[in-house]
Amino acid sequence: MKLLHKPWLWSWVAAAAAFALTVTLTGGSGASELAYAALSFGAFAAIVGLGQMLVITLGPGNVDLSIPATMTLAGTLALKTMGSDPGTAWLGLGVAILVGLGTGLANFTLIYLLRLPPIIATLAASLVYQSIAIWSNRGLRIKPPEGLADFATGRFFGISNVALVGLALSVVIWVLLERSVWGRWLLASGQNLRAARLAGIPVEAVRAATYLAVTVFAAIAGYLLASFSGGAALNMGTEYLLMSIAVVVIGGTSIAGGSSNVPGVWGASLFMFLVVSMLNSYGAGAGVRLILTGTIIIGIVIAASTRRATR
Amino acid sequence: MTISRLLLGAATLAVTAGAAMAETSDKRIALSNNYAGNSWRQAMLQTFEEVGGQAVSDGVVAAADAYTTSENQATEQAAQIQNMILQGYDAIILNAASPTALNGAVEEACNAGVTVVSFDGIVTAPCAWRIAVDFKAMGREQVDYLADRLPEGGNLLEIRGLAGVFVDDEIHAGIEDGVAAHDKFTIAGSVNGDWAQEVAQKAVAGILPSLPEIVGVVTQGGDGYGAAEAFKAAGRDMPLIVLGNRQDEMAWWAEQRDANGYETMSLSIAPGVASLAFWVAQQILDGQEVPKDLVVPFLKVTQDTLDEALESTPEGSVANTVYTLDDAKAVIAEAK
Repeated sequence: MKLLHKPWLWSWVAAAAAFALTVTLTGGSGASELAYAALSFGAFAAIVGLGQMLVITLGPGNVDLSIPATMTLAGTLALKTMGSDPGTAWLGLGVAILVGLGTGLANFTLIYLLRLPPIIATLAASLVYQSIAIWSNRGLRIKPPEGLADFATGRFFGISNVALVGLALSVVIWVLLERSVWGRWLLASGQNLRAARLAGIPVEAVRAATYLAVTVFAAIAGYLLASFSGGAALNMGTEYLLMSIAVVVIGGTSIAGGSSNVPGVWGASLFMFLVVSMLNSYGAGAGVRLILTGTIIIGIVIAASTRRATR
Repeated sequence: MTISRLLLGAATLAVTAGAAMAETSDKRIALSNNYAGNSWRQAMLQTFEEVGGQAVSDGVVAAADAYTTSENQATEQAAQIQNMILQGYDAIILNAASPTALNGAVEEACNAGVTVVSFDGIVTAPCAWRIAVDFKAMGREQVDYLADRLPEGGNLLEIRGLAGVFVDDEIHAGIEDGVAAHDKFTIAGSVNGDWAQEVAQKAVAGILPSLPEIVGVVTQGGDGYGAAEAFKAAGRDMPLIVLGNRQDEMAWWAEQRDANGYETMSLSIAPGVASLAFWVAQQILDGQEVPKDLVVPFLKVTQDTLDEALESTPEGSVANTVYTLDDAKAVIAEAK
């Protein structure tokens, strides 16, 4: 039973169960609607989750807490630059990616040159990014250009475009991790930094690339989310701080580093959306919902980690 | 320069308000604000800066400074209030992170002779003034409006705010009262939208597949446009969504009205309430007798006032009212 030993399995089982329970309530109708919504909204969590997964793979102590602020800053600056003018979608994407590169570089500079622990460095830097976002536009919501908004909310062969973008990025990450030297370097650095360095791996370059990748992913997610929901808001990234870490852990990626799991991030992202939908549909209040969500997450993490231990 | 400004200030004073105001010309007022991360708070800070700055240059008060904490934590704001006491401010107007956790710091301020006026996020310390919104009435009024517009009744979707926050509980209680009074309505589903379009959109999209036909959506502000987007994406008939004065909501409303005669209403607390708190603090410093509990009316936009409200609201912001000294006096007189 090789399948049972896959750490990503449990997030998918949980997502499927939440989906089935919700659809049971409606007697089967609305299933495609729910699947479509789960893919669209799960995609945002998956994109930021993929970035966070790479950072967490770097090993203990590595995490990027600047994701929400980077999303907000990228969304704000991109939409301000585009100013709702048609034909500026690529310009906006360019601005967002530049913001991602900029914040990633700043984060890594703090971590590498000042030797700050990543948690402190990214959290402190995120206050600066958030302040720049506030200062640059004072929280005004500028509409995305119509074409871009249509793309972000549109679908292609029944699958939302945002989900397709997320899937494409996932495939790139998966190939990089599983089939490229860079991926091997990343995993080796996460398993034992000292051994990796002695083996001649350019560990600092690997770390730099990883901290840049996570903010670029967050920036792309922020750009898409702002286009999807009709404008950037100052608090648009807030829920993705814990979400990005939760989907990584639920997805079966080892929090101790050195092992990544791309399919698990997707299973967990779908699950995080579906479990809230399920509990809302059954009429659970906010308190019950939070308790149950927490309990289920603990259950999945335990299931995934015992399977790994007995491998 | 200084003398001419003083003269100018005195002249303006004499013209606008009469004699009583000169008493506060050496008083300093600080705004202690717990959060700046959304458009409502940004509009609030901007209004305070405008009104406070004008009052300072008119010589009504000596200083009107705004301070915002970065982490929205009660402990951080308590330290901020203590700093303000040390800096010698005469009055602190306060939008509090918690109704109870700041009471210690507020008591310290009162004991040091500082006037504390809390608004929007109020504090329960007895020595402080409170400018509160009747949030319960805000919830109730939404259901009353729906009852008026939808004589047939039907299923409602409720979008709540941030779980565990006092404002959310109050509006929700008002909505429950309303539904109890109009039994033709049932709440078919309830989600937490955290007062943010993105969160509301996501939560509504998740619950919609399991819901029967929805005729009306009751909201708490900042979540109506997200709900509309979710209904549109699901290909459902657009229900009657009560909105919360955000410009993007009102722009959407105007668009729908022009396209298919969509009719609704919008209500929320105006961010300009900071200016009301400023004038109330000024009145207290001036020695006027002001009751401890004041009520600020909420700002309502109807089908008739929509165009007007849209025109006066900057793109992407929130409909606002700047309160004047006379408004403050009226609110105080009403509470007496």
